[in-house]
Amino acid sequence: MTLALAALLVTAQTPAAPPTKVAGSIARLFGPGARVDTLRVDTVSVLRVSRADSLLGFAAVGNVLGKDQPITFLVAIDPTDRLKDVDILVYRELYGGEVAYEPWRRQFRGKSTGDSLRVGKEIRSISGATISVHAVTLGVRRMLAELAAWHQSGAIR
Amino acid sequence: MRTVVGWGLLVVMAPCPLQILTAQERTTVGGYGEVHYTNPTGPKTPPVVNLARFVVYLAHSFDERLAFRSELEVEDAKIEGGKAGGEVGLEQAFLDYRLGDWITLRTGLVLPPVGIINETHEPPTFNGVERPGFDHDVIPTTWREIGLGAVGTIPGGSGLAYRVYLVNGLRADGLSAAEGIREGRQEGQQASFANPSFTGRLEWARPGLKIGGSFWYGGTADTNAAVGTGSFGAPVALLSADARYESGPFAARAVVANISVSDAQAVNAAYGKSVGSRIAGGYVEGAYDLLRLVAPASSQKLNAFLRHERYDTQASVAAGVTRDRSLARRITTFGVTYKPTWNVAFKGDYQLLRNAAAAGESEVLSLGVGYQF
Repeated sequence: MTLALAALLVTAQTPAAPPTKVAGSIARLFGPGARVDTLRVDTVSVLRVSRADSLLGFAAVGNVLGKDQPITFLVAIDPTDRLKDVDILVYRELYGGEVAYEPWRRQFRGKSTGDSLRVGKEIRSISGATISVHAVTLGVRRMLAELAAWHQSGAIR
Repeated sequence: MRTVVGWGLLVVMAPCPLQILTAQERTTVGGYGEVHYTNPTGPKTPPVVNLARFVVYLAHSFDERLAFRSELEVEDAKIEGGKAGGEVGLEQAFLDYRLGDWITLRTGLVLPPVGIINETHEPPTFNGVERPGFDHDVIPTTWREIGLGAVGTIPGGSGLAYRVYLVNGLRADGLSAAEGIREGRQEGQQASFANPSFTGRLEWARPGLKIGGSFWYGGTADTNAAVGTGSFGAPVALLSADARYESGPFAARAVVANISVSDAQAVNAAYGKSVGSRIAGGYVEGAYDLLRLVAPASSQKLNAFLRHERYDTQASVAAGVTRDRSLARRITTFGVTYKPTWNVAFKGDYQLLRNAAAAGESEVLSLGVGYQF
C-alpha cells in the first residue's frame, strides 16, 4: 500500500514539491501501510485513510501566508471529526519555524470544531514566532472546519 | 484562490492536497513604525513628540529557495542638510538560500542575533514606549553589520534553533564610556573588514517559553596598531542570555549581558576615552493582561507591566580611569500597553531614571503608538 501511495504521489502534480513529506506525514499519523484514496470536494482534494475497510480518518494539505512566504501544512482528523494532528510540511519564513515543533503542534490534538482555537487562549503562542503562530492557527481552524463539515454532510465518507 | 481574512493574512487552500504550493516569484511589502510623546519632569524640559521610526519591509522570493529581505528605516521623520537628528538607513538587507529546515545560508546586512530586541524590534512586540535603555547602551539595537552565515533549526523535534554569522567588526574609535560599544557599530556603511567577527545564537522554544544564549567575538583595532594588531586586536567579547515566558494573562521576560573590552586601556589611550573594560547588566519585566479579568473571551489585550533595569557601562574600568558612578543605571518603568490586535499597540509608561551616583536623575512620562504589518 505504501507503494500504491508513492505511485499516486508521483503521478500527482507536484512540481518541486516533496511528496515524500505527505507520505511520511500520513504514515506517521495513521501508521505505516494504510490505504490512501483521494476524494475531491469542489476543487479541493481530501485524502481518505483506511485500513482493512475501516476508516482511520481524513487529511488535507493547505497553505497560509506567513510574513512573506506560504507555510504548507497538513491537517488530519479521525472518524469522529476530532483533529488528529497537524504537520508543517514546508516552512520557508525568516523567523517562526517553531510552529513545526511537536510541543506546539500537540496543542491542536483532540480539538474539534466546537473548540474556538484562538492564539493566547487554547493555543499558546511562541515569542518571536507570532506571525507564524497566528497564520498556522487560522489555517488549521479553517481546514478543520471544512473537513468536519464535508464529513458530516457526506461529501467525504 | 486566495481569500483575505482576519489580521490581513492570506489563506490559500491548495486545490489539490498533493500539490504542495511552490513559491512563485512574489514581492511582499510590510512595515512597522512608532510615534512617541515624551515628557520629562522638571522645568525647561517641554514635552516632545517624535515620529521615532517609520520602516518599510520589502521582500522578494525568486523561487522556492532563494529570497531577498530588507528593512528601510526613516528615524525622527526626516533628515535635512545641516540640521542635527534624523536618519535614513537600511536595517537589514540580505539574501537567503534555503537548503532545508536545518540550514538556510544568508549573506548581506544582517542583525547580530543578540538578546531579544535586536532581532524582534517591532513596537507591538515589547512593552514601553521606548526600547529598554539596556537595549541602547549595552546591546546596541538595532545592531546590523555585513557578513554571511547560516540559520536553521536542529532536526529531531529538539526545539533548538541556531544562527551563526561572520561579519565585519566593531571599531574601537567609536566605543564610549556612556554607550559602551554602540557607536563602534559600522552598520554597513563603508565598513572596515579588518576585524572579522563572529556572532551567533542558540535558542530553545516551547509553547509560551523561549530561552536563548548569544555571543559576539571580534577585534576592534582596525588599522590602529597602538590599539591592537592582528585580526582580533583589541577584542570585544559579548555573552548574553535571555528568556521569554507567557502563560495565560501573565508574561515575563529577562535579559542579561556581559561585554569584555580587554584592551580598554589601549583604546582609552588612543582615543582619549574612558571606555569600561567590562559592560554588564540586564533587566526583568513582568506583565499581566488586565482584560482577562473583565473580558476573558476578548482577543484584545491590556497589559500592565513593570520593568527594572540595572546596567553599568563601566562595570569594571582599566587602570587610570575613575569610575563614573552615574553610568551605573537603575531604570524602573511601569505602564500599560493596549493592543486592539496583536500587531497594533497603544502605550503609556512612566520611567524612573536613577543611577548609583544619584546625579542628573529624572522621571519621564511617555505615550506612544506602534504598529507592524
